[in-house]
Amino acid sequence: MIERIKEIFSFSPQREPENVRHFTYSMRKKLVFLFFIVLLAFVGLSVRLFMINKENGENYKRKILSQQNYVSTTLPYKRGDILDTNGTKLAYSEKVYNLVVDSSIINSVEGALEPTLAALDACFDVDINELRNFIVTNKDDRYHVLFKKLEYEEIADFVEMQSNPSEYPNIKGIWFESEYKRVYPYGSLACDTIGFTVGKDIGSFGLEEYYNGILNGTDGREYGYLTDDLDVERTTIPARDGQTIVSTLDANIQSIVDKYVAQWNHEHEGENAYRVGELGSKSTGVIVMDPNNGEVLAMAGYPVFDLNNPRSLSENGLYTEEEIVAMTEEERYDALNQIWRNFCISDTYEPGSTAKSLTISAGLDAGVLTGNESYNCGGVLEVGGHKIHCHKRIGHGTLTLSGALEQSCNVALMQIGSAMGSGTLAEYLSNFNVGLKTNIDLAGEARTDTLVFDPDNMGSADLAISTFGQGYNVTMIQMASAFCSVVNGGYYYQPHVVKEIRNADGSVAEKITPRVLKQTISESTSDRMKGYLFNVCDIGTGKTAVPAGYLIGGKTGTAEMYPRGTGNYVVSFIGFAPVDDPQVVVYVVIDRPNVDHQPHSTFAQEICKNIMTELLPYMQIFRTEEITEEEKEQLRQLGVLSGYPTMIEPDEEEQTEEEPIKPADSIQAQIDAATGYAIDPNTGEYLDPETYEPIDPTTSDLGGVGALVDDSLSIRADGTNETENGYSEEDEANMNVD
Amino acid sequence: MPIRKKNKTKNQSFFDYTLLFVVIFLIAFGLIMIYSTSSYEATGQLGDSTYYLRHQFIATIAGTFVMFMTTMIDYHRWEKYAFIGMGVSIILIFLVLTPMGVEVNGARRWIRVVGSLQFQPAEIVKIAVILFCASMITHFSKKKLATFKGALIVIAAPAVMALLLWQITDNLSSGIIVGGIAVVMLFVADSDYKKYIIAFLIVVALGAVVVYAATHMQSDSFRMGRIAIWLDPEKDPDGIGFQTLQALYAIGSGGIFGKGLGGSMQKLGFLPEAQNDMIFSIICEELGLFGALAVILLFVLLIWRCMVIANNAPDLFGALLVVGVMAHFAIQVILNIAVVTNTMPNTGISLPFISYGGTSEMFLMAEIGLVLNVSRQIRLKDNVM
Repeated sequence: MIERIKEIFSFSPQREPENVRHFTYSMRKKLVFLFFIVLLAFVGLSVRLFMINKENGENYKRKILSQQNYVSTTLPYKRGDILDTNGTKLAYSEKVYNLVVDSSIINSVEGALEPTLAALDACFDVDINELRNFIVTNKDDRYHVLFKKLEYEEIADFVEMQSNPSEYPNIKGIWFESEYKRVYPYGSLACDTIGFTVGKDIGSFGLEEYYNGILNGTDGREYGYLTDDLDVERTTIPARDGQTIVSTLDANIQSIVDKYVAQWNHEHEGENAYRVGELGSKSTGVIVMDPNNGEVLAMAGYPVFDLNNPRSLSENGLYTEEEIVAMTEEERYDALNQIWRNFCISDTYEPGSTAKSLTISAGLDAGVLTGNESYNCGGVLEVGGHKIHCHKRIGHGTLTLSGALEQSCNVALMQIGSAMGSGTLAEYLSNFNVGLKTNIDLAGEARTDTLVFDPDNMGSADLAISTFGQGYNVTMIQMASAFCSVVNGGYYYQPHVVKEIRNADGSVAEKITPRVLKQTISESTSDRMKGYLFNVCDIGTGKTAVPAGYLIGGKTGTAEMYPRGTGNYVVSFIGFAPVDDPQVVVYVVIDRPNVDHQPHSTFAQEICKNIMTELLPYMQIFRTEEITEEEKEQLRQLGVLSGYPTMIEPDEEEQTEEEPIKPADSIQAQIDAATGYAIDPNTGEYLDPETYEPIDPTTSDLGGVGALVDDSLSIRADGTNETENGYSEEDEANMNVD
Repeated sequence: MPIRKKNKTKNQSFFDYTLLFVVIFLIAFGLIMIYSTSSYEATGQLGDSTYYLRHQFIATIAGTFVMFMTTMIDYHRWEKYAFIGMGVSIILIFLVLTPMGVEVNGARRWIRVVGSLQFQPAEIVKIAVILFCASMITHFSKKKLATFKGALIVIAAPAVMALLLWQITDNLSSGIIVGGIAVVMLFVADSDYKKYIIAFLIVVALGAVVVYAATHMQSDSFRMGRIAIWLDPEKDPDGIGFQTLQALYAIGSGGIFGKGLGGSMQKLGFLPEAQNDMIFSIICEELGLFGALAVILLFVLLIWRCMVIANNAPDLFGALLVVGVMAHFAIQVILNIAVVTNTMPNTGISLPFISYGGTSEMFLMAEIGLVLNVSRQIRLKDNVM
């Protein structure tokens, strides 16, 4: 073997047979001739090269530059976070990856298709056959997004395989494009207040919309340009990330609020509810504010939606799948807008009796009231030719000023109104910012300037109903802000939701300090009012709202909605705690509670009580009062004492005098279930239950505080007195204004 | 003793280091240029900037081994394979039509051996034809060769090969190279000039007719279209003329010293096959006229060494082998540069040792090994360099 190899590699120059032919002289000559021909060819080609450069060099240089498209790549910026007051992230942007399939590459590399498909199959939930078809039929396709917004964990396995070609060879033509996705870790928490984003950088609703410009950054760019020497210079302008906003919202307080709002609504929704299959209320709003600086600690609107999936109508049980399918595009859009809008700032309504606190503050501050007045309530008062009823038809009898507030007596308030005069009341209301935007830093605050009385045209009836919060519209945030100034010594703070703006690197860019806009009432008036409001909750209509162990002040409210007489009410409660040094104001409004008989402010009081029971200990406001055994048991059930939350049993027995007491049979006697009125079978007109005279539903006196002018319809019907009332049709139209 | 020593010196075997170093330099330079031209596209399409470089490097290692073997094995041993080589060539050409054939860029020219290892039969045909012609000519008497009939007998088989390559594997350029190699070998061995001049004139005349036909007749033929575009590539700047024009832009924009190694813009996706047939235009763009002339000079050096070795070869067979290899290199380099500079119509010809292509590189190195083996058998006492 070795011999054989040696033989192959050896050659013997000696082995030269005689007949071997040589490379003759003539052949050498020819070869040299050939060499020169080759040389000539090379010279010719060199000349050609030279000529190309000389003749077309500049031209070709330009051609090359003109066909360069300096593809500049966008480097996406990161939208700023939204933090709560403790630094908890309410919204942040997360890098996500789109999986892009480049069929052209997969097809260009022999044997890459199957390994690539196998790797995709192993890591992703993908229909391999469909994808194979796509790659084979779209041979030259270079950009096919297979998956959108994958998180890094989801693609990690695949990236691992891709970066390990020795073990997983021939995985080709798959790449990941990065972008940012907005994440709301708490889902529906404070959804209306935070808002969401559409696309990459358009905030919709709430903070996301209002602070859109601050949250957004600037995209960076990577691009090439040509220098004077015609060199391509690559330059990167880094992305500037958006600024972070620190809100005054407290996620803990917000979740307490959200919990009790949802709880109340769940108890009053569904099959056993009055309006079968509907939610517990049309809307429920809660604002929790710090009265000493105008910071909004929580702002909740019901119904809620999931910020991570804002376009789903079915998720929160609002609509069934069949209903959604049956909707037109427009209906769907309307329905979505309805759940997206922030009830607390976008919806207007008549505040009802909660406004009595403003009226009496105004009277005290203006010196019209001293506190020593006494009023006599006979159940009805005739003002400007209209009979206006108190919610207690038989009358409250003799009341002090405090008693008027405690019992929420309309007749007393109308007397106060006439003592003050429309000028003074209007002046104070406008001082309380009624009719003006609060300019809270949230998108979508409603304008109410056309929904209030013009003091110059205010009739005596208008003045009368204004004193108890009817005839003009407010938003919740207006009412809460005004009430804050009533209890904090008269300082009207601009309500705000953001207290700090931070740069992307964490440094503070701007601190937003509380702004006192004006002094609404004097400090002594404020002290006086706190006392009266305490009485409301101590012995008056607001007893239900008092959380065990605390002294709070507050005011109830029940306002019948337009059109009057349909039995639709807005019930509310606004309270503060503790009484001697108000640290927090809680305002609860329930729009059309889903119950047979709506005008019970206790619904709102229940929610407020539940919230405060859990909120006050969290805010380190300690109990000052004795707790009875019964209350202890309730607290334990609530989880406040034991630490575990359980559902509270609805306490229907507790009712205040504010609610009209109605014997069961009198309800039976009424024919129209929706309005509770008797109807004339011949004419279809509503009949007065006592006189059986035809009446107009708007003259209802059944609606507690919603008592109105007897013949207001006739005023409107003849069309002559429309402007005098001012609130008639516009109110109706503007119940849900933007 | 001094005499003995002198004798020993005379009998000492010669080795052409000049040729070896020229080849090593060309291969190394080729690797650098392949990396420069391909890294951008390789990163974009394959996610691996060194994809082409690595493959070429592996082929170079294998080629070095093949070159070493052919350098060591006595070239006379190959002579008996001359006819077998031609037979194998024909089989390989027809194998392309079987399922073993592989289509790349629309042309079926490749045979897959195993996995991704594949080669062009044309590479083997070239070597087989060199071997066959050298053997045939050696066995023909001088007189017989000088006749028209004798020349026809020698050229017949290579001509068939060239035709097969053109028709079966749709590879005109390889056919031209194979035919060219045979003609050059015959021309060198034959004492006659006349018939070659006549043949040359006929070819030129035919070429002129074809060009005239291409420009003055409406023809949909692919090759006719190519010729028309050759005369004026701007006619079809986005179609057939695209590659040619982009190559010209690259050459023209290079200037005297070029844009610097790695500075080409044309390789950024504009010039198709930049690392392949069109690599010379990127050399012009990055290294300018200076770099292009240096590369041409290296090839001139290579061809010159071949000429010297052939002229000093111990026998006619060895000399003709070297002439064949020399012809192969000369034709391929000239045609490649001619295509790149649009001096002739566009046809796919790679630049030896520099263009990307593993099997091509291995066979080229085998041929150089053959030449080096011939050089080793030169007896210094007989010749003065």
